[in-house]
Amino acid sequence: MSGFLIRRLAQGVISIVGASIVIFLISRLSGDPILILLPNDASPALIEDTRRNLGLDQPLWRQYLIFAQNALAGDFGRSYRWQMPALRLILDRLPATIELALCGLVFSVLIAVPIGVLSAVHRGGWIDRVGRIFAMLGQAMPAFWVGLLLILVFAIHLNWLPAFGHGGVSHVILPAIALGWYPVAAQTRIVRSAMLDVLDSDHIRLSRALGTPEHLIVWKYALRNAAIPLLTMLGVYFAAMLGGAFVVETIFAWPGVGRTVVEAVFSRDFPVVQAGVLFTSILFVISNLLVDLSYGIVDPRIRDAR
Amino acid sequence: MLLQVENLRMHLHLRRGVLQAVDGINLHVAEGETLGLVGESGSGKTLTGLSLLRLLPKGSGRIESGSIRLDGQELTTLPEAELARDIRGRRIAMIMQDPMTSLNPVFSIGDQVGGPLRNHDIARGTALRSAVVDVLKRVRIPSPEDRLGDYPHQFSGGQRQRIVAAMAIGCTPRLLVADEPTTALDVTIQVQIIALLRQIQHDQGVGIILITHDLGVAASLCRRIAVMYAGQIVETGPVRAIYRSPSHPYTQALLAAIPRLHSKRTRLAAIPGQPPSLIDPPSGCRFAARCPMRMDQCAAPPPTVDLGDGHSAACWKLAN
Repeated sequence: MSGFLIRRLAQGVISIVGASIVIFLISRLSGDPILILLPNDASPALIEDTRRNLGLDQPLWRQYLIFAQNALAGDFGRSYRWQMPALRLILDRLPATIELALCGLVFSVLIAVPIGVLSAVHRGGWIDRVGRIFAMLGQAMPAFWVGLLLILVFAIHLNWLPAFGHGGVSHVILPAIALGWYPVAAQTRIVRSAMLDVLDSDHIRLSRALGTPEHLIVWKYALRNAAIPLLTMLGVYFAAMLGGAFVVETIFAWPGVGRTVVEAVFSRDFPVVQAGVLFTSILFVISNLLVDLSYGIVDPRIRDAR
Repeated sequence: MLLQVENLRMHLHLRRGVLQAVDGINLHVAEGETLGLVGESGSGKTLTGLSLLRLLPKGSGRIESGSIRLDGQELTTLPEAELARDIRGRRIAMIMQDPMTSLNPVFSIGDQVGGPLRNHDIARGTALRSAVVDVLKRVRIPSPEDRLGDYPHQFSGGQRQRIVAAMAIGCTPRLLVADEPTTALDVTIQVQIIALLRQIQHDQGVGIILITHDLGVAASLCRRIAVMYAGQIVETGPVRAIYRSPSHPYTQALLAAIPRLHSKRTRLAAIPGQPPSLIDPPSGCRFAARCPMRMDQCAAPPPTVDLGDGHSAACWKLAN
């Protein structure tokens, strides 16, 4: 078990280092930040001076080493635009992003699991058909469109929920639905097919033969087996939600990392982009690690195999 | 009589047509008796066993006619909810063929063995725990109190079949349907499981229907056997009578096909041909096409001929 943990942690560190190199190089490709920082009529001398002050005159590999060294010490540099440490900026926004991703994930699971289970139990019945249409709609509707639709209906017409911003529970509902909408389809499908497999297995047949009530067979004995493939998928989706929430964050003016990073990209605010993307990749690695660990809780065979 | 099955017909309504899987079966099992249900794969033995519990293939299986009486109570008309509550696992229990897949991999054996006891309101709380330990002791799982939290993969195949048996006998059922309980196991383990079934029968006086294709296993456990072919019982009687003087040509062929250690023959004996399709089967004797003693009469359904001492067979040859 501890060997497994160490191995997985080492893999995680390698992934994060790789991500940091990619982020560093890509952000350099987006253009020269000096041209945005300084007014159009700045003198060449001032441009040179600023370049030297910010360390942008060094070769790329030196810039990366400086960046990596400082990053290890927790220093990602100061935001060119906000004039505050980039790390602070990201850490301030991080809780909001995690909150949104968690709520989106919970929403998608709360919808997907019951529909998937009932679709499998009543295979070919009306709930199976409705579920399939629902899943198709989910995959056909991009998050920005779902977001706008939700704002239009629930915020503007019905006036039930706030259209934007961050605050109480009511603020998170619409963005969480917009974010969790898309994964519902894939999750429903995986729960349905896993349940169909399990419900056809010998141990479920034995449970029935020994008089186990149907609700226990479905929601207890079968569902825990079907949870294993779902869990794998949740890890991937949670990570994707952490990193990919910027569209939803932008639509709902949600003060998260995604929106901050997008703004930083537009203003070529390198330190913020680097800190933001690196933090997202660290979260990505951690969430995958947590999923790997949680298999052991659900499936005792995996617990022992480690 | 513990179990009395009369003229039971269970058909599967498939897209290809109606498959007459169980077609007019008569069976009876006395208290504490073991009946062997013998036949080749596809002969309908397992579906007969499942029909007793009314666990039919969802959507397609239907009991067409006949009666199943347990201690005189008719089961074919009992509502599904009562069947689950009072019959399945409570008065009739079943053991399935493959112990490697019969246990739920993600629940502890304490939970699984305790399941039937909980569901049938026999024990709860600490009483449940001691009941589970007790039943695991009865199937000879070593130091069961330490193993309640263990999972199926931590047990060997033979131990898993014992655990399945523990789940089945926990509620002290009246009848145990054991579907090929030894088929998936090593020969040495088979002997242990047979001994266990004998012991369960001795201790609890439970009636057993042993479904098997293995005539040796049937002979070692059963007093009476019923030979099934293509959804029907072709011969039934005391084990000795059937082994000494098999009367139906199918039984004769089946016994002749057992390889003998001291035989000079080098080729295995086989029954030529194949069982008929049970969708639209022949209207007469279903074995006729493969029967070396076929006559013109065999085109009509054969009569069941009483050969005395509870031995009977369905064949025209015997009627003449």
